[in-house]
Amino acid sequence: MAAVKALEVTGLSYRYPDGTPALDGVSFALAEGESVGLIGPNGAGKSTLLLHLNGLLPDVPPAEPAVRVLGQPLTRDRLPGVRREVGLLFQDPDDQLFCPTVREDVAFGPEQFGLAGPDLAAEVARCLATVGLAGYEDRLPHHLSRGEKRRVCLAGVLACRPRLLVFDEPTADLDPRGRRDLKALLAGLPVTKLIASHDLEMIAALCPRVVLLDQGRVVADGPAAELLADEPLMLAHGLERPPGLSRRHPPG
Amino acid sequence: MRPDFLDRHARLASPIHRLPTAVKAGAALLLLIALALVPPRQPWLFALVALLLVAVAGASRIPPRFLLGRLLLLEPLALGVAALAFLQPGGWRHFLLLVGRSTLALGVVLLLSQTTPFAALLRLLRRLRLPALLVTLLALMYRYLFVLADEAERLQRARASRTFSRRRGRDWRAIAAVAGRLFGRASERSERIYGAMCARGWRP
Amino acid sequence: MHIPDGFLDLPTATGAAVLAAGGVAVALRETRRRLEPRQVPLMALTATFVFVAQMLNFPVAAGTSGHLIGAALAAALVGPAAAVLVLTTVVVVQCLVFADGGLLALGANLLNMALLAPVAAWAAGLPLRRTLPGLAGRLAGATFGGWVAVVLAAAACAGELALAGAAPWRTVAPAMIGVHLLIGAGEGVITALVLAAIARARPELVTAAGAGSARRFLRTGVLVALALALFAAPFASSLPDGLEAVAERLGFAALEQPAALPAPAPDYALPGLASPLAATAAAGVLGALGMLGVALLLGRALARPREAGSA
Repeated sequence: MAAVKALEVTGLSYRYPDGTPALDGVSFALAEGESVGLIGPNGAGKSTLLLHLNGLLPDVPPAEPAVRVLGQPLTRDRLPGVRREVGLLFQDPDDQLFCPTVREDVAFGPEQFGLAGPDLAAEVARCLATVGLAGYEDRLPHHLSRGEKRRVCLAGVLACRPRLLVFDEPTADLDPRGRRDLKALLAGLPVTKLIASHDLEMIAALCPRVVLLDQGRVVADGPAAELLADEPLMLAHGLERPPGLSRRHPPG
Repeated sequence: MRPDFLDRHARLASPIHRLPTAVKAGAALLLLIALALVPPRQPWLFALVALLLVAVAGASRIPPRFLLGRLLLLEPLALGVAALAFLQPGGWRHFLLLVGRSTLALGVVLLLSQTTPFAALLRLLRRLRLPALLVTLLALMYRYLFVLADEAERLQRARASRTFSRRRGRDWRAIAAVAGRLFGRASERSERIYGAMCARGWRP
Repeated sequence: MHIPDGFLDLPTATGAAVLAAGGVAVALRETRRRLEPRQVPLMALTATFVFVAQMLNFPVAAGTSGHLIGAALAAALVGPAAAVLVLTTVVVVQCLVFADGGLLALGANLLNMALLAPVAAWAAGLPLRRTLPGLAGRLAGATFGGWVAVVLAAAACAGELALAGAAPWRTVAPAMIGVHLLIGAGEGVITALVLAAIARARPELVTAAGAGSARRFLRTGVLVALALALFAAPFASSLPDGLEAVAERLGFAALEQPAALPAPAPDYALPGLASPLAATAAAGVLGALGMLGVALLLGRALARPREAGSA
């Protein structure tokens, strides 16, 4: 059992500045190469949890961090290094796509890490090709469709060469084709993935395992086929059994 | 606002578009300086500049109707200031001189902005050693213009759908409330952008 | 108030640009001294907000409407030094992207709208913020500051146009300042209303900004004012002859010969022209007193907790 976990969260608690509890003793771990779905109703604390995974929360890193990435605790001086390992894809692509052109946006991360010149251009081209947007370098963010914006965001995250990818509602607001394309794209990425979403069909297709979060606590953690098919459990936590699932996994 | 309102033709592939940004910006500045130096008694020099502008506009392959439309959109601003000429003797000639000069200058800036993507201008400013903080502010502001304008439009529509009276005082308060909420959203978004920038290794 | 290209001569445009660059450099240094990283996107989004808020129309009368200019609002939200950078960003984007305000005139426009306006707004509001505690003081300060900012920016704008020989000072100043005494009143009221709306929705955004830099910035404000005075002195001291000399040098004097068409306002025919500058100054003083009253009343009224059911 000496293998280093890609992500280890132990007893993570967090209160908002106004005192409302958001996370209450959250613990779970991801092995390297695993794809895990993070599900739960609105306000369960999913987004807050994700922000902890690369140190955007809490504002002041604690003395004994509850989060370890690839065995490294998230302390203040380790933060820049860890942020490189954890690629976070935000819910609203407009928040993440903050540069005036696609090229500059994808180049933003690697540039901070010292890449420049032809190497940088090659990296940008590589990442855009990975997300199926080869040749989009000179496009402007406000001219892109929502699905394209999200894929540019992913390219920008991939350009940091993360070993763990964290997604917050990657399929939200996408039309069916955008959603299908993104699903295929995610399935093909060979890194550890944590995907928070209400899109349980997508979770079922991409993640063999799910963690169910409600009111800041881990309520269940197990095989996706089992948990997602557990109708009472899903209903009790504001979710539904994805319709596609019942046919493939008869309850029993 | 339509997303291509600003730069509909900034990406055409004409010889003018392909010129280096520094050349275009430098030429524009020189033209503006030349215009400022034209003595009032030699107005034929204006015709020379006008000819040059028409030639550049033609080479840029931007539809002339579009350029003229933009020029007319901006012209009232110049006319308003030029009307000051009537405050002094020789009003009409002075007025025409000012209108001619400012219209040509407007044409210069318009052609520059329509043949040069803003991102390229930003790169030029960075090369010219404009402080990085200012370049970052300019880039972010440009990027979020449309995002915020859309939000303002949605907020206003929501307000209009719930407005049944037409009392002026209330109206002002309601519009101010839209602006207030818009700033709330802008500041929340700035927090998320900050998170996204940090997540990709940004340190100012 | 954006000066388009074609109205400023090279010396005026260059002089204004040098002053503006110096002012922005001071603001940059001031801001960097205690810049928290998260303020960078906040400043940028505040600039975007100011720009978009300028597009909201406040109906006045008979189909006309006014809109926010935003210097006082920005100063109230992010403090004076950051507000200079915010307004600089707005004015530069307006120039480069929308061709609103000239490229050669950019320095003058920055000087008026991005430097003078927010610094003056902030400084003018200072005594009111000291007098009235809490939100009422901030609102009253922003109201008065909004008025002062607009009037001063208009005066500076008139000064630059006069210095450049586009129009004589003794006619352009009363015209510009007179109109902006009224526009400034609107700006003050709108600034207070918007600030109050922000304070209601997100109190922490209004109370937090700009505190603790009072003395430093007052010094900077004084410096800017001095620089401006120095800039304006050569022509202000020798009025009106100085301007006529300028006009002559530029060749406008030649144009004064018999105009083919009667000018609506030839400078020797305006009744009471001997004193429009004095009249403007008097109106300015009265306006300032009136605005102080409005600011105090508005600040008090808007800071009061609102009863339920109102917009």
